[in-house]
Amino acid sequence: MVQSRAAALEQVGSLKLPTKRDEAWRYAPHKSLGRLTFGPARGADALPQDVQRQIPDLDGPRIVIVNGVVDTGCSRLVDVPSGVRLDILDEMDDESVTDSSQVEQSVAPDAFVTINRAYGTGGALIRVDGHPEQTIQIVDVVVPNGAQNSSASRVVIEMAAESSATVVETRIGSGDKFGGSNVCTEISLGAEAKLTHTILQDLPSTQIHLGRVDVTQAARSVLRARLFNLGSEYGRVAYQVYLAGEGASADLSGLYFGTGQQVLDQQLTVIHGAKDCTSRQSYRGVLDDSSSGIWNGGVDVRPGADGTDSEQSNDNLLLSRHAEVNTMPRLEILADEVSCQHGATVGQLDEEALYYLRSRGIPKDEASRLLISGFADQMMDDLESDTVRSWIAERLERGNA
Amino acid sequence: MLHVENLTVSIGDTPILKGLDLDVGHGEVHAIMGPNGSGKSTFAHALAGRDGYDVAGTVTLDGADLLEMEPEDRAGAGVFLGFQYPVEIPGVNNMYFLRTALNSVRRIRGDDEIGARDFLKVAQEAMDLVEMKKDFLYRSVNAGFSGGEKKRNEILQMAVMQPKLAVLDETDSGLDIDALRVVAAGVNALRGPDRSMIVITHYQRLLDYIKPDFVHVLVDGKIVHSGDHTLALHLEDHGYASYVNHDLDDSPLSGATA
Repeated sequence: MVQSRAAALEQVGSLKLPTKRDEAWRYAPHKSLGRLTFGPARGADALPQDVQRQIPDLDGPRIVIVNGVVDTGCSRLVDVPSGVRLDILDEMDDESVTDSSQVEQSVAPDAFVTINRAYGTGGALIRVDGHPEQTIQIVDVVVPNGAQNSSASRVVIEMAAESSATVVETRIGSGDKFGGSNVCTEISLGAEAKLTHTILQDLPSTQIHLGRVDVTQAARSVLRARLFNLGSEYGRVAYQVYLAGEGASADLSGLYFGTGQQVLDQQLTVIHGAKDCTSRQSYRGVLDDSSSGIWNGGVDVRPGADGTDSEQSNDNLLLSRHAEVNTMPRLEILADEVSCQHGATVGQLDEEALYYLRSRGIPKDEASRLLISGFADQMMDDLESDTVRSWIAERLERGNA
Repeated sequence: MLHVENLTVSIGDTPILKGLDLDVGHGEVHAIMGPNGSGKSTFAHALAGRDGYDVAGTVTLDGADLLEMEPEDRAGAGVFLGFQYPVEIPGVNNMYFLRTALNSVRRIRGDDEIGARDFLKVAQEAMDLVEMKKDFLYRSVNAGFSGGEKKRNEILQMAVMQPKLAVLDETDSGLDIDALRVVAAGVNALRGPDRSMIVITHYQRLLDYIKPDFVHVLVDGKIVHSGDHTLALHLEDHGYASYVNHDLDDSPLSGATA
């Protein structure tokens, strides 16, 4: 069960931050992590102009969280489609939320999860018992200022049995001051529930994003998790998906696209805890300049999880001699009759393809761009929302300019 | 139109072309035939501007020095190479690729970019020419295409780009007889007084469908014999043995790839 707030607050004073010796934090910029300062949520006066432009222009309900506090003015909580209850966590009794969310945390919480439990009092609670068509949007914004440069917030998504929904979480930051955001998402899927959950991470390259997503899935529930890890000096999202009921399936995919000195880190653990569950992990990375990517993808097949079917793939494109990627598929199998496949590739732009395009009159730079977006765009193919797709495409175009 | 004089090409330390001379006039179709490893494909790629070749000699197209140009500028100048092995480019759709290619050469040639509607007309005509299905435009470039589809796509691109000089590198390889007929019909439809072609092939078969004005035999990096289309028939009957034999002792062809 999720750690209680009281316990977290007690521990927060004596926390030890992760170090290079922690496998899951090995490539993180530890100095920068040490400069993050957290405290009780304080909010900001108004949503800054520079981040308003960065919010995907989706219709439908949304909750905007600024420095850990929900900005009711920017949120859209009226005309919420039927089958959805959207609540602001600040206004809720914490223990009731913790009880109802029923999320298993299979891996011991790290220091930043404890910080989130202690200070992440604000956020969004989404309860779905129906089939809303509109996308539900959560926007998390950090506006660093002197005393406390980082924010913590929490998103809880509860999918009732046989319900379905699409949630997009956009994580951004304002200005160019150092700071960061720490967002924990807890998702529970009832039997046969279906959730498509997308994270768009695009904080400024002076800031840090620490994301953590814990999912528990009941029988025959279906999760599609999409991660676009694009911004931040250090952009990290860690998924822990627990397939608790028979026949549950989790399909995780994502794109990380680094430039400059960025470090983009994806840490995945999918636990097969019941029979006949299916999981997919399919991630692509494009790394330019001196950026680096980390893909640490694990599949744990617990005793009794017979009939497990899992596949992992991680393909990377390095665009510069100084770019690097660390890709680590991990498998632990303690059950019978399982099918687990994994593969990872690291490559450069295909010279033959470049030549082919140039022989058709396309200048070298444009041919390179075409190949890069061809590689990256395939991760956007199954996005249902044109708005989200074009948001990503525009973001990548800006990044490449 | 195309003037090639004493062209030599080495890849690393291996000389492939050893002084090739060729003149192609406006509207002429020249076939280049030769055994495996004779340098046929290297010649095609030397014209298109592939990286990694040490090239010397003269190659001009209507007086312009091709060897000084990047591959994209050669395309702008009017060179088109139909690849023996068209490259698969997942994630890039044909429509976008073709339109970018066409507009790129139009820019180099000083023409205005073509609008979406006009482009669709051009693309549709080209698709009809090689009997490509409707969904073609929305598929990724060559990705998952059959051998025949890839080759038809090459001819389709040629139809869209309207080159002055088309170099077709073993366009017949890997084609069954029906696909060959479609490809050849496409090529023939694109013949004209303003378009010259170099058709590179190992077999005479293709030349039953695309009748060349001249046939050249390329052996060990040089053109050793030239004639009219009847030369191809002679080669079909007698092979390349009479050209190769006297060279066998002093020039192993290892390292040269077709």
